[in-house]
Amino acid sequence: MRKVAIVGIGQGRFGVRSDASLRELAFEAVKACLDDAGIPLGEVDSMVTGIAGDEFALSLQPAAQVHDYIGFHPKPNFRVEGACATGSMALRTGMMTVASGLADVVLVVGAEKMTEVATPIATEIMGKGGDSTWEYPFGMTFPGYYAMIANAHMAEYGTTEEQLALVSVKNHYYGSLNPYAHMQKRIDLQKALASPVVAHPLKLYDCSLITDGAAAVIIASEERAKAICKKPVWIAGVGLATDTLRLADRKSLTSLSAVQEATKTAYKMAGVGPADIDVATVHDCFTIAEIVAYEDLGFCKKGEGGKLIEAKETYVGGKIPVNVDGGLKSKGHPIGATGVSMAIEITKQLREEAGERQVKSPEIGLTHNVGGTGQVVAIHIFRRE
Amino acid sequence: MNFKNFSLNISQTKVSRFVDELAAGKFMATLCKKCGKKYYPPAADCSHCMESDMEWKPIGHEGTLVTFTKIHVPPEHFAVPQPLMPFSSLRLEPCSIGLLEVEDGLKIMGWIPKVDVKKITVGMRMKAMPEILPDGNITIVLEMV
Repeated sequence: MRKVAIVGIGQGRFGVRSDASLRELAFEAVKACLDDAGIPLGEVDSMVTGIAGDEFALSLQPAAQVHDYIGFHPKPNFRVEGACATGSMALRTGMMTVASGLADVVLVVGAEKMTEVATPIATEIMGKGGDSTWEYPFGMTFPGYYAMIANAHMAEYGTTEEQLALVSVKNHYYGSLNPYAHMQKRIDLQKALASPVVAHPLKLYDCSLITDGAAAVIIASEERAKAICKKPVWIAGVGLATDTLRLADRKSLTSLSAVQEATKTAYKMAGVGPADIDVATVHDCFTIAEIVAYEDLGFCKKGEGGKLIEAKETYVGGKIPVNVDGGLKSKGHPIGATGVSMAIEITKQLREEAGERQVKSPEIGLTHNVGGTGQVVAIHIFRRE
Repeated sequence: MNFKNFSLNISQTKVSRFVDELAAGKFMATLCKKCGKKYYPPAADCSHCMESDMEWKPIGHEGTLVTFTKIHVPPEHFAVPQPLMPFSSLRLEPCSIGLLEVEDGLKIMGWIPKVDVKKITVGMRMKAMPEILPDGNITIVLEMV
């Protein structure tokens, strides 16, 4: 398998982008990405597009819209989908394309336009990401699923609503320092705890945002990467694993076994362990998800995720800085773009271009992207030269 | 009864019998005749041995609550049009939902209409019951034993 590196990154502003359509959002990201890589689109051999929902895009072939709008014909493009892990699935697929030798330079685009539909409809579309036959009739939503994980975690380990809220406080703090973030607003513990309940015990400030946005990276083979870029960031390890569609069929309701499986594979491939990770972006679709991620990734012992955030160990300067770009919570969660945006943040960190949010001299970074309630999980480990 | 009266979404499946059994008060699983693996919700095919020779078996419907929630921001299908009247902030109180482990790790999802969410705890003993709704649809509720 050939070595693969990220040689260009770009994204547009995340938010309620009522000024732009899906294809226009994608164009912003692609343009920024080409500028960052310093190459014209003509030097790209192939393209992968990650878009999660036809129902959000109000069309059947949303990836074709993006491909057409950037004028990439007649070169190859195809769409990849893995619910909320769609972006990382696209990156993984792009990496496979380069590693196999089918292409030398690949553009990976992740995009989602979520606010064209009203919030209750968006909630319904996402809720059907669970089991649309057996769980949907109980009005299940994604906050509902993660609330069930939260209640089980609280009952088993004594995790508190305050600990959940502290994740939100951290991610809003870093979101306020990220010009691409949807909500650039700091909050305190009281504000988070006093916010309205969305799905008991999760409150408004425990939930990520319904966001429009796009993100793009260009990846290349070793030879092309060294020619294009001074600071290539290598994809050192990848892991993909799956679990049951229904939360009810899991042995554990307090951890995501697919995260544990995918992480094991990625750590092994990169030849590293949790103690070697200098910075991570994790799938904090809900605050409980970040706490469970700390545990499943091995950043702390099972059941001690709440204590890790209480001790501020996941801030810059702590044991393992997590989501110092604001995370899904504050940066926003345009589904297909999220995994790609995570890789962008880790690339920035490893290039030491993250400004006020910069972690000190990181060598190795990790992204953790979860689809469904842990039905599909993609982990990537990145390393600088 | 049409399967859609339960699923609210699809009507065509090999396990539509589940709904008629539920209406008759029974919670039915399917059992693989070859390997003995039990499926709730019922499956027409066995993913364990890739056979499709299944028999229907009633399962117990009393057990332990393993988790729960109460969704205040419902999906479109369940959302009350807002506002109900001009200048009104009136909202209908939503209903809690739980997962009840009944046997062999099998879990039944159901609404919990009669217990205040603040009084629901993981580990509570409850029983699952079918419930015919005023609109003719059928669903499952969890009640205190």
